[in-house]
Amino acid sequence: MHSKILGPFQITVAMLLLCIAGPALALDGNELLRQVDKNMQPQSYEMYRKLINVEPDGKKKEFVLYTVKTGQDKMVALFISPASEEGRATLRLGDNMWLYIPNVGKPLRITSLQSVIGGIFNNSDILRLDYHFEYDAESISEQEETYQLELKAKSPSVAYDRLKMEIDKKSMLPTTIECYAVSGMLIKTLHYSKIQDFGDGLVRPSVLETDSPLHKGYRSVMLFAKVQKREFADEVFTLNYLSKVNELRK
Amino acid sequence: MNYENKASLGRGIKTGFCACLLLSCIVLVPPLLCAEDEFSFDLEEIEKKALQMRGYLEFRGEHMDINQGSVFTNLNLSDPDISTMDLIFGSIQLDGSYEQGISSLNWLLKAAAQQDTLGWSDMTDVYSAYLSVKPDPSVTLALGKQSYKWGKGYAWNPVGFINRPKDPNNPEEALEGYVTAETDFIKSYQTALQTAALTLAVLPVWEGINEDFGESNNVNVAAKLYLLYMDTDIDLILLTGNSRSNRFGLDFSTNLAPNFEIHGEAAYIPELEKVVLLEDNSSAVEQGAAFSTLLGIRYLSENDITSIVEYYYNGGGYSEDEMSRFYQLAETGLVQDPALGSTLLDKAREMSLKGYGRPQPGRQYLYSKFTQKEPFDILYFTPGITALVNLEDQSYSISPEGVYSGLTNWEFRLRFSLINGGKYTEYGEKVNSNKLELRVRYFF
Repeated sequence: MHSKILGPFQITVAMLLLCIAGPALALDGNELLRQVDKNMQPQSYEMYRKLINVEPDGKKKEFVLYTVKTGQDKMVALFISPASEEGRATLRLGDNMWLYIPNVGKPLRITSLQSVIGGIFNNSDILRLDYHFEYDAESISEQEETYQLELKAKSPSVAYDRLKMEIDKKSMLPTTIECYAVSGMLIKTLHYSKIQDFGDGLVRPSVLETDSPLHKGYRSVMLFAKVQKREFADEVFTLNYLSKVNELRK
Repeated sequence: MNYENKASLGRGIKTGFCACLLLSCIVLVPPLLCAEDEFSFDLEEIEKKALQMRGYLEFRGEHMDINQGSVFTNLNLSDPDISTMDLIFGSIQLDGSYEQGISSLNWLLKAAAQQDTLGWSDMTDVYSAYLSVKPDPSVTLALGKQSYKWGKGYAWNPVGFINRPKDPNNPEEALEGYVTAETDFIKSYQTALQTAALTLAVLPVWEGINEDFGESNNVNVAAKLYLLYMDTDIDLILLTGNSRSNRFGLDFSTNLAPNFEIHGEAAYIPELEKVVLLEDNSSAVEQGAAFSTLLGIRYLSENDITSIVEYYYNGGGYSEDEMSRFYQLAETGLVQDPALGSTLLDKAREMSLKGYGRPQPGRQYLYSKFTQKEPFDILYFTPGITALVNLEDQSYSISPEGVYSGLTNWEFRLRFSLINGGKYTEYGEKVNSNKLELRVRYFF
């Protein structure tokens, strides 16, 4: 039996193939991510969300938000209930985030990891931009019914350094997302469910449930309603407009 | 019992067991399957109404130990011999708007009543009431009374030329506005300059209108140019008119890291008039340039502690010597022979109203507030501590507090304040040496 030793030419070819294959895999993952984003929401839209924090004893606290987004990185979320939070608005422009509280009267810069409502959801969950805008796909694997994407944040200002996303092959929608800190610690897990037809060809999950090993026994649920395409002027996404966001609602 | 019967019995047990299992599944599984259905989102909840009303009811109880013998106890209390003061305060705040097309009418009303050891007081006020028209998202025109919160500082705003003065311990409560005519233009760009917005406010001071702003029969103009440039908020601010001398300001705010924000303000008043007490206990109006600055940070640690620290240099404030002269005047007035009248005490009261008695009348201050969100997994509970230090006379107030908002639309705040300083220092001469306060708000 002869053992074959690779010559310099074969090694070079193999390395070249590896170099080409690596980005090709990443490209596929990123393309998949774009498809997921496209299926989840239009680029410019408005929607209503109800956030429910559930405590271990079953006690609930609910918040309702009106959200508008335009372009890749402009988003505003306005609290419309409960009364104690009504009128609060958070604005995101890329990595910049502000919180407007009616009684304080001026927008304050906030960070993505802070929570404006308490519980498991933080600002970046409330003002989440498209996944492909904030993350690069590092690896992709597949099982019979799902794809698994490993995503890495494009910048350190993104709330979660790494995501492990499970995507349903048939619907091309995410089912489970694990969110990790830079240290590798699992911060929370998001579970999407209840696919619903929101009209205008948008069929996507209407429930997002979150649990966290950091808050054992607590869970947060986000319900989506009236997710619809709508165009907004860029001027809506400015500090001066934050006190007027409610007037966008029809 | 033969084997057949045993087998039959076995089948019966098996069938019964399966039936029980199936029944258990029917009973137990549906709640699991329907876990998502325990939550509902009715579209009625998000229906928008033209008339919107909200507000809160507040109840506050306070207990204070009186700083007996202090300057402000003697100047401000009708009975300076009391050792403690208890106070019950109740208020209602109504906030509303009515929208019609591109117009909206907005208002903020307040009514409050207080009973304390020395007597009863009450007030009603229109904090704001204005008509706003938005022909386009980039243009807003407004007319009426509205409040201004210019500046980036939490505790102080030297560039807040048309803001109401705020109490650093309750900065969110300076809500009363001024009557203005205002225009707001916003423009967004896809460049390093992401946003430019110009706010122009015309603020008249006439009889019955904005009289507390400054000299009457003048029309003042305030302007603020906001820029979001390279991820930094920048405001250029100007006030001109004859009710107050001209003022120029600049502020900024930016994130040096996702969890680390820095902000600052600088204000320049070329001809600031300041009433000062002279050595012979007479007073004079000094005119001169005043430059004030504020520099602050906000930091969020990994364990969810938010720290806000601000340094404030008040260029228009009184020096330690000037404040000391005022305290000495008041004290001399107290021991003055009653036969000679109370000339010096009256003078001290007059000087208190003209500037020496205002909140933070000194030159240099440090403000720090530390809050931790939901420690020990106690959801909606935020303990914190606020410290306010007069850096020149080393006097201070320190206030630990706890805020709980776990019951929908209720907020509870328990706060204790320790107010301390030496003789002839700002916090050493306050009315109270400590205060225990419970505040309950119900939002509707």
